[in-house]
Amino acid sequence: MVKTSTAIQINNLSFAYGAKQVLHDVSLEIPARQVTAFIGPSGCGKSTLLRCFNRINDRIPGAKLTAGSILVHDIDINRTDIDLQELRRRIGMVFQKYNPFAKSIYDNVAFSLRAAGRTKRSVLDGIVENALKNAALWDEVKSRLHASAFGLSGGQQQRLCIARAIANQPEILLMDEPCAALDPLATLKIEELLSELKKQYTIIIVTHNLAQATRCSDNTAFMYLGKVIEYGSTMQLFENPKEPQTEAYVTGKFG
Amino acid sequence: MSPEENPSDLAPHRFQKRGFSYERAIKYFFASNAGLTIVILALIIIFLLKEGLGFFPGYQRELQVYRIAGLEFVDISRKNLTAHEQLTSVLNRAYYAEINGRCIKQMRRSQEASALFNAYTDQTGPTRDLVLNNSQAASSPNSEMLKNLKANYEQQKAKALASLTATPHLTQMERRDLIESVRSRAVNDTDDPLFVTTLAEEFTAAQHKQAEPLQALRSTIDSFSSAGSELSSLVSEMTESVIATKEKIQGADILEKDRKTLLAAASGAKDPVEREKLMTEARTSLADKPDVEGPIQLLLEHRPDCIKAHTALRDASTRIIGQLPSSLTQLEAARLLKAARHSWPFFIADLEKTPAAINAWKPDAPVPLTDSISSFLTGKDWVTGGEWQDFYGILPLAAGSLMISIVALVLAIPTGIGAAVYVNQFASPWEQSVVKPIIEFIQAIPSVVLGFIGILVFGTVLRDISLWDSLQWIPGFPLEERLNIFTAGCLLALMSIPTIFSLAEDAINNVPSAYAEASEALGASQVQTTFRVVIPAAFSGILAAVLLGFGRVIGETMVVLLVAGNRIKIPDFTAGLGTFFQPCHTLTGIIAQELGEVPMGSVHYRALFVVGILLFAVVLTINATAHRFVNKMKH
Repeated sequence: MVKTSTAIQINNLSFAYGAKQVLHDVSLEIPARQVTAFIGPSGCGKSTLLRCFNRINDRIPGAKLTAGSILVHDIDINRTDIDLQELRRRIGMVFQKYNPFAKSIYDNVAFSLRAAGRTKRSVLDGIVENALKNAALWDEVKSRLHASAFGLSGGQQQRLCIARAIANQPEILLMDEPCAALDPLATLKIEELLSELKKQYTIIIVTHNLAQATRCSDNTAFMYLGKVIEYGSTMQLFENPKEPQTEAYVTGKFG
Repeated sequence: MSPEENPSDLAPHRFQKRGFSYERAIKYFFASNAGLTIVILALIIIFLLKEGLGFFPGYQRELQVYRIAGLEFVDISRKNLTAHEQLTSVLNRAYYAEINGRCIKQMRRSQEASALFNAYTDQTGPTRDLVLNNSQAASSPNSEMLKNLKANYEQQKAKALASLTATPHLTQMERRDLIESVRSRAVNDTDDPLFVTTLAEEFTAAQHKQAEPLQALRSTIDSFSSAGSELSSLVSEMTESVIATKEKIQGADILEKDRKTLLAAASGAKDPVEREKLMTEARTSLADKPDVEGPIQLLLEHRPDCIKAHTALRDASTRIIGQLPSSLTQLEAARLLKAARHSWPFFIADLEKTPAAINAWKPDAPVPLTDSISSFLTGKDWVTGGEWQDFYGILPLAAGSLMISIVALVLAIPTGIGAAVYVNQFASPWEQSVVKPIIEFIQAIPSVVLGFIGILVFGTVLRDISLWDSLQWIPGFPLEERLNIFTAGCLLALMSIPTIFSLAEDAINNVPSAYAEASEALGASQVQTTFRVVIPAAFSGILAAVLLGFGRVIGETMVVLLVAGNRIKIPDFTAGLGTFFQPCHTLTGIIAQELGEVPMGSVHYRALFVVGILLFAVVLTINATAHRFVNKMKH
């Protein structure tokens, strides 16, 4: 038995897009019900690593795991008998650029449930309301649930995407720079939301914003050129980095 | 503000612009190209309108003559006469279908035997003629050649006899006997083989035998047929007189036009002598006003006769419908009888209304311009170049165009969009690289090539297929016409598939990949992603693709001209889905077919221009709507 507190275990992972090796020998243990942040300069492979967890990289032709394994709750997700749809229902994802569908707010949130075959209106109503409440969006949209999602502001649209991702009650929530396209006020709202959400979900967030990592995360991994340079509690990593590269990055000497 | 406007205000400086700018010349060059296309388009529109709008006054005058000369009056009766003739013909067809259906076996046997013998004579005919001609010409001179010819004939004869295949209704034995009797024929025998004539006699005898129980029906049909003779002779009598009147009016119209031309020339002439000459000429050519009153009064004297004939015909028809059998035993005969019975009440109702119409008709009622417009837009007849009266009603053409488009779109929309969805969403890169160019390649086939493939291959194959016994449940089978709405629609579908495919594929491709990614990250399968996210997001683009495909179909000319069958008639919708297997004519086809033959400036010529304007407006509307959908997609 694995410790229940480990959500994702990454063992010696190497990953390539075609001939281009992106991740080299990455090993990490991500604890459950905490916020883990991946930081590092552009192109260091942090988004790629995140996208390995729900295998959304499979969409990209030529992307492949070259070595190692990823265990989610003790199960190797790269086994051939994995039901990808079920895996992705258990691991939600929020993208950098908010991308609601060209549907109503309600239909956006209910999308994953309907895709999973749950279509009973009364059940959906409750779940949609709950998801919107958890994403701190309910009060703003409850009067126009059936209006187009494109009528919302950018920050609202991103929170709608979060509501959409948590509607199916996933265990893990992946967030790929969720605030990169938002203004500071909307960013603040999302960060507040994160501290609420981590009570229920294991959250992994990729961010360029070092301040955001210190504010929201419990653990931080610093990546550089496809390798994890340092991984530890956020406080330790920022205040007392062990590696010189980490120190140089967190103090703003490069990046 | 620019320095060129008032250069004197500014002193020369270091950055002074000097001389002719090369860049500006390039700019003007491209601007003039864009401007030229716009000017040409404007000229085309102006030309179309100039030629087309003259149609309505011209057509108004034609309709006026139609009324004044009394043709309209005759047409009231003629319409009923035509309906009567059609009903008679349907009844006769039902009668013969019944008889032939009852002795189908004899008919088939006789047909097959003659077909076998004909196949034989076709093959041996030329060699046989050679033998006969040479043996007659001279008995001795070239016996060697005659021998050769005979040998040749015998060889051909053996080959032909061997090629006679078995047929379903003749037994092996009968076929062999027939072949033997042909083999033993003298070379100069011209009679049909005994077997063939026997079968033909058997068939005739069977027909006579089957006709006996149907004698009642025969005499009913005959009495119905003769019930129309009174009306028929009345109509032909009136026709002669009104055509004479019409010719007089038309002659006067032409003289009047010439006079106006002369007067115009006179007023434009500078030399007073010349002017005086032209004026005199114009004065002398002043036409006598043709006498229309006299003939019309004569015509109107026929009123009581007409009404009497109609009443008699109505009474006869009401009586005869009761005498018709309720049904017939043969399928085709029963169908025809049913059709006749179905249209009978309408025929009688029309007859009942006719006396009132005859009494109400006035030769001097005005024909307003709106009549010519509404007669054009809602007219059920497009009749041109006839001796009687030309009508320019576009309904038959519009119906043809529309029905062909329906067939084409019903086939092309699912195929084109389905192919686009498959290629964009599910195909492997290898399949994409093969399928896409192939579908787009269809566009490279010239439409005239597609047209003759349609005539020679597709039309023939389709008709042969329609003869299969197992497909007789399909309405409209077997096909009466090889070239029809369906064949044209199929070919146009082929032509519009690349359009719909390419544009729909573009629309699907333009859906941001973030949508599909988000959908899959939410646990939707690839099929769910395609149908719930990608296609809805591309919907307006796909709709635009369909509309542009429609525009392509309705504007296409060559294929419909070649393949649609070109019968100018509103399809007979009583045939149900079988309507789609009738021939038709189209808005585009009529222009292509008739514009080369009409006299410049005639009403007919202008009518074709109005059809062109209408097509232009329709296609423009379709394209503009499609454009709006495309813009809508780019949020």
